[in-house]
Amino acid sequence: MQVYSQKSFLIVDDFSDFRSSARSMLRELGVRDVDTADSGEQALRMCAQKRYDFILQDFHLGDGKKNGQQVLEDLILDKLISHECVFLMVTAESSQAIVLSALEHEPDAYLTKPFNRIGLAQRLEKLVQRKTLLKPILQALDRGRPAEVLAACAELCKKDPRFAPLCLRYRADALRDLNRVDELEKFLTTIIASRATPWAYAALGNLLYKRNQLAQAQGVYEQALKAFPMMPGLYDGLAEVLVALGESKRAQGVLEEAVRLSPLAVRRQMMLGKLALSNDDYDTSSKAYRHAVNQGQSSRYKDPESNLGLVQALMNKNAGNGLDARTRVEINTVLSEVAKENVEDQGLQVRARLMKAASLQQAGDAETAAKLTEQAMARLEKMDQFFSVEAALVVATQLQKLGQEAAGTSILKGCVETYGDDPKVMQSVAQLTDDPNVLGAVTEAVDLNRQGVRSYQAGQLSEALAQFRRALTLQPKNISIALNTAQALLRIGGEAPPPAIMDECRACLGSVTGIPKSDNRYDRYRKLHIRAFGA
Amino acid sequence: MNQDNQGLDFSTVIASTVHDMKNSLAALTQAHSQWLARLPEALRSGSEQGVMEHEFSHLNGMLVQLLGLYKLGVNQLPMCPDYHELDDFIEAQLAAQQNLLQHRDILASWRIETASPLGFFDRELVGSVVANILNNAIRYAGHTLLISVSDEGEQLLLSINDDGPGFPARMLERQQEYVQGIDGKSGSTGLGLYFAARIAALHERNGVKGRIEIANGGVLGGGLFRLYLP
Repeated sequence: MQVYSQKSFLIVDDFSDFRSSARSMLRELGVRDVDTADSGEQALRMCAQKRYDFILQDFHLGDGKKNGQQVLEDLILDKLISHECVFLMVTAESSQAIVLSALEHEPDAYLTKPFNRIGLAQRLEKLVQRKTLLKPILQALDRGRPAEVLAACAELCKKDPRFAPLCLRYRADALRDLNRVDELEKFLTTIIASRATPWAYAALGNLLYKRNQLAQAQGVYEQALKAFPMMPGLYDGLAEVLVALGESKRAQGVLEEAVRLSPLAVRRQMMLGKLALSNDDYDTSSKAYRHAVNQGQSSRYKDPESNLGLVQALMNKNAGNGLDARTRVEINTVLSEVAKENVEDQGLQVRARLMKAASLQQAGDAETAAKLTEQAMARLEKMDQFFSVEAALVVATQLQKLGQEAAGTSILKGCVETYGDDPKVMQSVAQLTDDPNVLGAVTEAVDLNRQGVRSYQAGQLSEALAQFRRALTLQPKNISIALNTAQALLRIGGEAPPPAIMDECRACLGSVTGIPKSDNRYDRYRKLHIRAFGA
Repeated sequence: MNQDNQGLDFSTVIASTVHDMKNSLAALTQAHSQWLARLPEALRSGSEQGVMEHEFSHLNGMLVQLLGLYKLGVNQLPMCPDYHELDDFIEAQLAAQQNLLQHRDILASWRIETASPLGFFDRELVGSVVANILNNAIRYAGHTLLISVSDEGEQLLLSINDDGPGFPARMLERQQEYVQGIDGKSGSTGLGLYFAARIAALHERNGVKGRIEIANGGVLGGGLFRLYLP
């Protein structure tokens, strides 16, 4: 029998009857330290103040509130609980909770209501035993050291090979964090061949997707969905792959399936909104974005892009028909939320104002639209942050429609300067302008950059650097070229680069500090930044 | 809820009502056990308590099964297998029935004879099957019941054996029909077997599907339920 007198417990449930009943069961088990919370928000505040050894979390905490799964995600991602903490998800019906849960963060166990004291005691006792067995792994996870996780797993498997299957997930996550991709691929393939689980499929699909082996990734997800058609996370993965393959209609269908299974997912709704918008399905798009905005209120995945997307979908849906009163109210509400909650973000401030101006123009109020456009342009001039490609294209289109041709062209020019090495970007830009000054500006620099990459890969570093440098002189704000130059400099500089090289590297990175966090090169930028600036 | 009566899908109505009933029953069970704890010792036992415990557990099992059958019907029963410690799984199943076992004064024991301490299955689904079978076994057992887990070739075999009168001969003869859901009038036991067979079959490995079997005999001589998981 476990001794719980020194352990701390937290019970989270919106029903006081349940809280008192669970509390008295725990008291009978000898627990002295029991706190309770009636909402996930309160539970998070309490966990920020105190480390709990055990959490009994009810799944359904009322509409419009965080559910148990969201609380668990917040606790893990904000590092408010240790991996050694025992987290029990209490549900009326666990199959529903499983569908709504995310594959990446699972509770230690589900406990189905009703349960009795003996049932609770049994679960707690067994979970403590398991956590004790896995302790070295859990401690390494708390320290954030994947290499130590692997070592601890190897140790456990050697000591008692019968429990090796309990380590599979920890080993896979650690290999992923260490970027040992080939090993991970072999490992996951073996797991799937022997005993397939949804998480193993998702991990393999994601690995192939990241490696750009899209057809293989698609195959893995399709195989996974045959075995586990009720796991929404697998649909998300397949949709992501289909988007990359350019099959956005099919991707939308797949996401709609996932939303039917599990509608409470901010990121999924947002992705669906975006896809449907690009497929010109404005009904689906506005519905999905609306869900994303509403659910975002209680979620860590709240994102102003959903608000902007919702407005865009509503405007497109009513194109040519003005905007009715109800739609105008909705647009005002979601846009003022963006402006209020992102005071420091210049880009979002500009975009929210332009979006508002565009909607006013559609509603027939050209005068206010013009005033707002001017305001937005004044802010635009002072802005030193880069727009993402998508944002830049929307802003340029809106400026053109609002009669600001020149400003629109200059946004496109900026976009080409920053992202012009990507042919897809150039195609999109070409749809909005014929201006040779915009379209022709990058050809030479892009060519040089490509040659540089080839030289770099062939190990001819000084030749690569020369090519990157020339490209960068032509296009100093191009993210790829700047990052390539910085990387070549650091490679040539070796362990302790001379000051001249460090200065040049810092200058390269300095010219692209406006890189948006959403850019998929942002991680690479951060890593180079840390090496060049030490932080 | 759907306002349009003509479009009312009765099975969906039942499913959402069952969901609410399950919540209600959970609250009732919880309140009952708290109330029981406050009663003087002499009033806590007694045959009425045994009936209440048994019927709470029986009702809950039926509701879980009904929801499960609905979800099977609309292809929405989530299947998420993983490795589970077998002793933990069996202990949890028995702990959930502990009050009932006490009231009926039945000695329940378990035995794990597998090479690995872990089994690979969907814990919630197999749990709901075992809960129903156990509940049934407790109803018919004389004094003892036994849960055992063993290796059967490549498969995991979970058996529940009691020392009661066993399954009626007619049921044993027609078990294939229950399993296939052909006999619609077989009552809750028949439905339970159908549910168990469907859950078993969801577990599949290299083309081999899980299955169930009922018989009489075993170590204890009464009803014997077998669940094979590949």
